[in-house]
Amino acid sequence: MSVPASLRCGPFTPSVLVKKRYIIFYIALIWVSFFAALLELWVYWQFLYDWKPIHFWIFIPLVFFLMYVTAVLVSIVFARFLLIMVNIFHKPRTGIFLRHPSDRDYRYWSIRNTIKRWPIWLSHKFPFPFLDNICFKMFGVKTTFSNSLFEGWIDTEFIDIGKKVVIGQASIIQSAIIMGNFLIIKKTIIDDHVKVGAHCVVMPGTHIGEKSILGAGSFTTVDQKLESGWIYIGTPAKKYKRNRFFEDNLEEKLESLQVVDVDELRMKYEEIFFMRDDKHVSLRERLKKQKEIFKDEKRRLKEG
Amino acid sequence: MVVEIEENCREKEIEEVLKEEVDLQFHWYLFSFFLIYFGSFLIPGIIFMLYYQIFFIPNVMGTKTIISLFTELRPLISLILMPFIIISCYVLHLFFIAIITRRLWAITEKKSPTVDGIIPRNVRSRTLNYYHIRSFMIKYPKYLFTKGAFPWLANWCFNLLKSSKIGKGTTIEEQVCADKNIDIGENCYIGVNSVLTSHLVDGIFGNISYFKINIGDNVTFAGLNNFASGCKIGSNSSLLPWASGGKHYTVTGDNFYSGLPLRKIFKKKINEYLGIPQNIIAEEKKFRKDPNNLQDLKKALEEYNDKKLKIIEKSDTNVEEINDPEPETPSSNADFVLDFTTSSAISHVGIKFLIFYIPIIWLSGILVSCFWYEWTKHELSIQNDPMSWVPTIIFLPIVLFVMNFIFIFGCLFITKLFLIIINMIHKPKEGVFKAEVGNNDFEFWCLRTELKKLPIYITRNSPLPYIDVWAFRWLGLSMGFSAHLNDAWCDTEFVELGRRVMVGQGAVIMSSMVVGKYLFIKKVILDDYVVVGGQDTIAPGTIIGTDSVIGALSTTNYGQVLEDGWIYFGIPGVKLKENRYSESKREFIRKVDVDDDKKYEIKHDVNIDDDKKERFK
Repeated sequence: MSVPASLRCGPFTPSVLVKKRYIIFYIALIWVSFFAALLELWVYWQFLYDWKPIHFWIFIPLVFFLMYVTAVLVSIVFARFLLIMVNIFHKPRTGIFLRHPSDRDYRYWSIRNTIKRWPIWLSHKFPFPFLDNICFKMFGVKTTFSNSLFEGWIDTEFIDIGKKVVIGQASIIQSAIIMGNFLIIKKTIIDDHVKVGAHCVVMPGTHIGEKSILGAGSFTTVDQKLESGWIYIGTPAKKYKRNRFFEDNLEEKLESLQVVDVDELRMKYEEIFFMRDDKHVSLRERLKKQKEIFKDEKRRLKEG
Repeated sequence: MVVEIEENCREKEIEEVLKEEVDLQFHWYLFSFFLIYFGSFLIPGIIFMLYYQIFFIPNVMGTKTIISLFTELRPLISLILMPFIIISCYVLHLFFIAIITRRLWAITEKKSPTVDGIIPRNVRSRTLNYYHIRSFMIKYPKYLFTKGAFPWLANWCFNLLKSSKIGKGTTIEEQVCADKNIDIGENCYIGVNSVLTSHLVDGIFGNISYFKINIGDNVTFAGLNNFASGCKIGSNSSLLPWASGGKHYTVTGDNFYSGLPLRKIFKKKINEYLGIPQNIIAEEKKFRKDPNNLQDLKKALEEYNDKKLKIIEKSDTNVEEINDPEPETPSSNADFVLDFTTSSAISHVGIKFLIFYIPIIWLSGILVSCFWYEWTKHELSIQNDPMSWVPTIIFLPIVLFVMNFIFIFGCLFITKLFLIIINMIHKPKEGVFKAEVGNNDFEFWCLRTELKKLPIYITRNSPLPYIDVWAFRWLGLSMGFSAHLNDAWCDTEFVELGRRVMVGQGAVIMSSMVVGKYLFIKKVILDDYVVVGGQDTIAPGTIIGTDSVIGALSTTNYGQVLEDGWIYFGIPGVKLKENRYSESKREFIRKVDVDDDKKYEIKHDVNIDDDKKERFK
C-alpha cells in the first residue's frame, strides 16, 4: 500500500560501485532522459504557449505526466543499448566469483547494475507499476503483467517469473548475492501461482514450484528446490504442509476454523525454525556450562 | 543470580511506578526541518531559476523551428546544458542539506552529547528531548541521500555529519537506521533491508538503549539482518539472510553466521546453504590470512565455474523433469487452518486503474499550475526588469513547499471523493472471499487499495513524510498524531491504532491476506501504548492489548489475540515475560558472546540529566 521510508526498497539494483568512473554511464543516461523530456516540453510550448495560454496551463500536468513516462522509456532504451554494448565485451554468466576489484565478472556485474539503476529508479519513483514491468522485461527478467512484484526487491537479471506470482512486502528475490569474499550469481526460477510471504529472502539458484507458498519470515538456501503444491516455512525453508487452498468452495470452512492454541503452534514452528541437528550436547555438559556461566557472572558483578 | 537482581529492584520501586508520557517537541522538529529545507533549496533554486529565465526560455522556447533548435549555437548549448544544470542543482541541494544538518547536529551535540547508556523513557528529561530532536533532524537528509538518485553520497553525508563513521569502499544498500552512532569498517557490504539500530525503544514507558554498534572490516550482510544497540561484529564475518542479534551481541568474526539469533555455521553447512565447495572455502581462508594467495583462489574459482558450465550444458540435453509426487493424503481440517502468514500484495494491477490515476493527477496538477502561473506572472521579462524577479526567486523554496502541499491535498481530496462514491456502490466488509476476477468483494478491494496507493505514496515521499497520518486518517484508518507509523507498511482499512502506538522500522501490518484462491479480510486493532518491533509481520485479525510489546522479527498468526501488558516474541509470537520496563533497573546491561555462547552482565551508567540521576539509584 504505502511506501515507507524503510520498507519498499527503491531500485532493484545493488549500489555497489567498484570503480568510480562507472558513474559516467549513470550521468549519461540521466542526461539523455532529461533531454528527451525537454524536447517534448518544447513541442508543447510552441503549440500552445502564445496561442492559447489558458489551455497551456490547464494541460501542463498531463504533459508533465507524459514527460515523465518519456524520460523513463528513453532511458530504458538507451540503457538497453548500453547493456548490449557492455555484454559484447563480457557476457554475463552464472557461477561463483570473487568480490575483488581484480575480478572481471564482479566488475562487469557492477557496471551492469550502474547502467540499470537510473531507469529503474525513475520508474520505481512512479506510483503506477507498469513502468517497472517494462524495465524488467527490457533488462531480461521473464515476467508478465499479472505478477505483483512491486512491494519487494527483485534482481534484474537471471530471473524467470511465471504467471500470477505474488511477492510479499519487503521480500528479497535475488539472483546475485555477496557473501564474504564471494559473489554468487545463479539463476532463480519462480513458477506460476507462487506466493512469497512478507519478509522472505529467496537466494540465488532457488527454484520454487507451481502453486507453492513461502511463509512470512523464511529464507531459501542457494540452489534449493521447492516442490510444487506445498507450503514451506523456516530459516532455511522446510516443508510444512500441503497447499490445499486452491480447492473450491472453502469459504465457510475457512471462516469457521481458527488456531486455538498458539503455544502448541509455536512448538511446531520451533521444530522447523530452530532445529539444530548439527550439534548434540548432553544434559550433563549443558548443566556444566550453565554453572560456569553463573560463576562468571558472579565474578563480574563483584568486580564492578 | 540474574533473576535475583531483577526481583530486588522490583520490590524497591514498586511503590511508585513512573509513567510520564514523553514530550514531543514539535516546534523544534519543524524548526530544524524548515531550516534544512529552505537553506538547502535557496542557492540551487536561484541558480536554476536564473538559468531558466535568462537562457532557457528565450533561447530554447523562443526558437520557433525544430531545425534551428539544433543548428543555431545558442539554443543548442542552452538545451544541452539544461540537464546538467538540473543534475548539479540537485547535487548542490544535497550538499547544502548535509552542511546545514551538520551545523545543527553540532549545536545539539554541544547541548547534550551523545553518550552510550540507557535513557529512561518514562521520565521527561533533556537528554531524551535532544535524542528525539536529533533523530528527527537526521531523517530528512537520510531519506534524501539513501533513497535519492545518488545513493553513493550517503556515506559521505554520514561521515560529514559525524553521526556515524563509515569506512572506505563500504556499500550500504537501502535500509534503515544506519544513520547515527554506528562505526562500520572498510570494504563492507550491508545488504537490502538490513537494520542497524543503535537506539532501541523497549516499551512506551520503558527504556531507550542507546549504544554504539561496531562493525569490523570486510563484513557482509546478505539481507534482512537486524542488529540492536551495542552489537560488536568482528572483521571478515559473513552473515546469511535473517542472521540477527539482540542487544549487546558480540561476534568474533572470521566465519559464516546464520540463524535467529545468529550462530556460527559449520563447513558442511556452508556448502549446503551457499553451494560453495570445500576446497574453495579452504583457499579463501588462506587468502584472508595472506592476500598474496589471490591467484590460487582465482584459479580454483575459475575451475569450478568451467566445470559447472559443462555440467549444465550436458544436463540440459538429457535430463527430463521427473516429478515424483507423493501419494495424496486425504485432506483433514488441520490442512485448512490458517497457521501461517503470507502477504497482502495485490496480484493483478491492470492498466485500467489509470482511469482513476490520470484524473487525480491532472486535477491536482491544475491547482499547482494555477499557483505557479500566479507566482511567475510578470508583465516584463527578467531581462527588462530584473528587480521584480528578486522576490520570485528568493522565495522559491517556500513556493516549492507550498506547491508540493497543494498537490498532495488536491490528490487526497479527489481520492476521497472517488472513495466515497466507490464505497456507496459497494460497502467494504470483513470475511473470507474468493480471490478471483468476478468476485465483487475481491475486485472492489483491489480497486480501493489501488486508488489509495497514489495519495499515500505521494504523502510518504513528500519532504515532510510524517504527514502521511493525514492521508491514513482520511482514507479510513483510525489513528492519532501521537502514533508513529512512518517506517512501516500498513493497510489502509480495518486497522485501528490507539494512543502513542509505535510501529518499528520495516514492520508490515496487514488487514488482508491472499492465500491460494482466497482473500481474508479481518480487522487489526493495536491498543494504546503498544510497541510493534522492527521487521514484524502482523497478520489480519490480530488484536494487541494495552501496553504490550511484540519483539522484533516476530510474526503474529491470523486472528491471534495478545493480552495486555506482556512482551511477546517469536514466530508466531508467544508470551515471553511481563512488560515491566518502567520499573526495571537500568544500571546493568547484559552482553552476549555468540562464539563462546556466554552471557554476562556489566554495569553501565544511566544516561539522563545529572539532576535526575538520583531517581534511578
